[in-house]
Amino acid sequence: MKINFNLNGSPVSIDAPANITLLNLLREKFGLTGTKMGCEVGECGACSILIDGKVVNSCMLLAPQVNGRSITTIEGIHDPNGGPNDLQISLVENGAVQCGYCTPGMVMAGEALLSHTLSPTEDEIRNAIAGNLCRCTGYQQIVEAIEMTADLRRRKLAGQAKKLEEVQ
Amino acid sequence: MSDYQFIGKPANNVDGFAKAMGKARYVADLQVPGMLYTQVLRSPIPHGRIIHLNVKPALKIHGVLAAITCDDFVDHGNLGWPIKDSYILAYQKVRYVGDPIAAVAAETPELARAGIEAIELELEELPGVFDLTKALNEDAPLIPLHPPVGKGNLVDRLIVRNGEPDEILSKCPVILEETYFCHHQEHAYLETEGTLAIPNDDGGVTVYSNDQSPFINRNNLMMVLGLPENKVRVIQPPVGGSFGGKDDIDYQNSGQVARLALMTKRPVRLTLTREESILASYKREAMQIKIKLGAEKDGTLRAAKVNMLADSGAYPSQTPLAAWRGTMHAAGAYRYDAVHVDTDVVYTNNGYCGAFRGFGNTEATDTIEQAIDELAFHLDRDPIDLRLQNCLHPGDRAMTGNTINHEIGLTDCLKWVREQSNWNQKRSLYSQQKTSEEIRRGIGVACYFHGSSLGGEGADYATSTLKIENDYTLTLTCGLTDYGQGSRTVFTLIAAEALGINPERIQMLRPDTQTAIDSGPTVASRSTIMGGNSTRVAGQNLNVLLVLAAANYLHCDPAQVIRAGEKYIGPNEDPITFNEVVDHALQMGLTLSSYGTWNMPHIEWHFDKGTGIPYYCYVFGAVVAEVEVDQRLGKTDVLNIWMAHDGGKIIFPQGARGQMIGGIAQGLGYGVMEEMKFNQGYPQSINFDGYLIPTALDMPAVKGTFIETHFKEGPFGAKNLAEPMLIGVAPAIANAAFQATGVRNRVTPLSYEQMLLGHDLAQPAPLKRIRAVLGAHS
Repeated sequence: MKINFNLNGSPVSIDAPANITLLNLLREKFGLTGTKMGCEVGECGACSILIDGKVVNSCMLLAPQVNGRSITTIEGIHDPNGGPNDLQISLVENGAVQCGYCTPGMVMAGEALLSHTLSPTEDEIRNAIAGNLCRCTGYQQIVEAIEMTADLRRRKLAGQAKKLEEVQ
Repeated sequence: MSDYQFIGKPANNVDGFAKAMGKARYVADLQVPGMLYTQVLRSPIPHGRIIHLNVKPALKIHGVLAAITCDDFVDHGNLGWPIKDSYILAYQKVRYVGDPIAAVAAETPELARAGIEAIELELEELPGVFDLTKALNEDAPLIPLHPPVGKGNLVDRLIVRNGEPDEILSKCPVILEETYFCHHQEHAYLETEGTLAIPNDDGGVTVYSNDQSPFINRNNLMMVLGLPENKVRVIQPPVGGSFGGKDDIDYQNSGQVARLALMTKRPVRLTLTREESILASYKREAMQIKIKLGAEKDGTLRAAKVNMLADSGAYPSQTPLAAWRGTMHAAGAYRYDAVHVDTDVVYTNNGYCGAFRGFGNTEATDTIEQAIDELAFHLDRDPIDLRLQNCLHPGDRAMTGNTINHEIGLTDCLKWVREQSNWNQKRSLYSQQKTSEEIRRGIGVACYFHGSSLGGEGADYATSTLKIENDYTLTLTCGLTDYGQGSRTVFTLIAAEALGINPERIQMLRPDTQTAIDSGPTVASRSTIMGGNSTRVAGQNLNVLLVLAAANYLHCDPAQVIRAGEKYIGPNEDPITFNEVVDHALQMGLTLSSYGTWNMPHIEWHFDKGTGIPYYCYVFGAVVAEVEVDQRLGKTDVLNIWMAHDGGKIIFPQGARGQMIGGIAQGLGYGVMEEMKFNQGYPQSINFDGYLIPTALDMPAVKGTFIETHFKEGPFGAKNLAEPMLIGVAPAIANAAFQATGVRNRVTPLSYEQMLLGHDLAQPAPLKRIRAVLGAHS
């Protein structure tokens, strides 16, 4: 069946079987392999993506369910020049990337949280990534990276607000 | 030593950005034109004889291109090390639920599944062995086709014979004698097993596998496919975690897809679902350990006797070696007058077991550290004091009788965790809790030692290569793999330090058996010592050439050339750059590449006598855990962990910290959460909804440090990290839980029911779900 949705900022239209999961659609039909298969039962979060800004396990949705929605995958997260964004840089600099298999999902969970608040508490961060399993790091470095990114973005916003004030 | 440019300085993981941006391509991300998909027919029963197996009906399905059994391999695909008793696909018998029997390659995954369903299979179910303590009974059903040591289900027997403990024990005023049990553990690497095989025009095959040791994979493939070395190439893509778990299972998978690729002349890929992965792959072995300790009234340890019984499951895999390591550490990091250890490794039909981070020392440390704590309790001694009184110092004999001559940071580790955790105050505070309180706290300690690298297991060597490219970058290879632990970054920093050039110039390749040089298996936390040293040697060898060229350019003696950053400075002329030196060296006709090989100094363990030197060097560490136990629920919350580890000089601090906190997470899972249990051979959990590993919310606050002793043979003084930072966590938690509750369970993990009832609840296996995964034959 025909499915239309917005994928990483561009409208797409694709003919796909009604029973294909969103995870398989993204990986197999669009070649977006940054979204990983971990468990296919919605427990590990390796397949996390954003639907209209909310973090979702793409293995738990059938592709037709995203008709008309807006989807962001890890391939849609980068700085304006296509390089790593501040969260991705913070993850690397904090040692939050070891085997890297959970990392795209962690980025999505982190972005979803940071789109709601730039002053998350440690508890909020841990809750935000509680659906994303990592077997390598022990999570502390991921929590620190999200904290650091929140701080960077908060200060950047404050700087912009100050500039705006000065201009006015 | 603070004059290093790169060693011990902040650095990022060399492949961090590719991974954080979703650009790293793991096996499951590799799509090749014309690629076929594989499905594997697996045993639905724990033990049975294959009466009838016919794969021809699968080939009648349009789109199924090949179907194989063990008969499609040399010697029925027989492989395995150290005991050759495994098969690429089951031969004559199936021995565990999930045992691979046949495999098909088809145009789509659905057609491959249909092919599997069409295969004719008849099994005669045999009685199984599900209790490791009954595996050696005379009436126990025989699991192997041929008993490897001629004694039924005995896989191997391992011993330590250091002095005569019986005589000493009979005179010891204080004796502790207890039995402990450790359950199986699942690796739970986030990336499941995957292999892609591409046939070559010359009749050979190229295999992309997320294995730990590509050279072992290649050697196995040569053997089971009957191909010479130049026809089998194994390339390692990024690996999504391994922890010991991607050895044998990946070699079996690689054999299956390689044969299918050779038969169909098409690329063939196999990636396991999580459920297949948990059913098919090997686990950490369960162990029953009996310990008898003898001490003086003042707490001086005198002698130990340990009996270990290790559940190897259906196949030996690396359980004999893991059990050997456990045997070499069974009495802990303490001085004794005499120690005997007797270990039996046995077959059962509980899945199959093999390597997992800690490799037998996980169970050994878990057990001895609880026993030492029990001894402290009987002696009314502070557990840290008792450890400090008995723990190893340089010049002491280890429990295996060998003298340790290098620096030992164990005392410093124990003192650090004591101070940082506010041990004395908390220990005293928690001992005053009322027994009527239902939520109670405790604080506990454990310490550990862990022999570095392979030790007596076998030849211990590594080789690295370095080459300067035309654009003044360098290419570095080593036969050891980076499956997430950060060794590529470690090697890059070591090469940069040895050459005095920026790490950004260096590209460290993942191993490819055609370009890297065999460096033995990537196991035993051996990468930093072995690959680090071979990389250091390769760097030094290349540096000799560069300094020679610089001296020639600068009209001075090589000994007069000094370095500042990447510049080469002579006594007379202006400094010259690295690029200028490279250009000049090429003009001189020098070949700007180098090899570096390093061998661990020779040691020998006499397996038959139980004497010798098991390891050339050891790492050490200590852990304190603070817990809160809710006795109404049986719930153990770990609030805080303090850890100090002596791994020698730290090369890559960010990576080292990751090994520590990551080790703590896995140790926490092992200690209180993770139960890979089998019920009559059927696993009770086959996915992350049943098998729970720690999430971000389960992690305690962690405070850690590295006690950087200097190991003179190590690269820049480094020893190793990785495995040992898991092994002290579970016993520290168990000891803390004992202080909180006054109850010793002597079972790992401390599950809710274990804490609440003192025994496990018999749970039915999810048979319906297992059958859904295994298909119509079940």
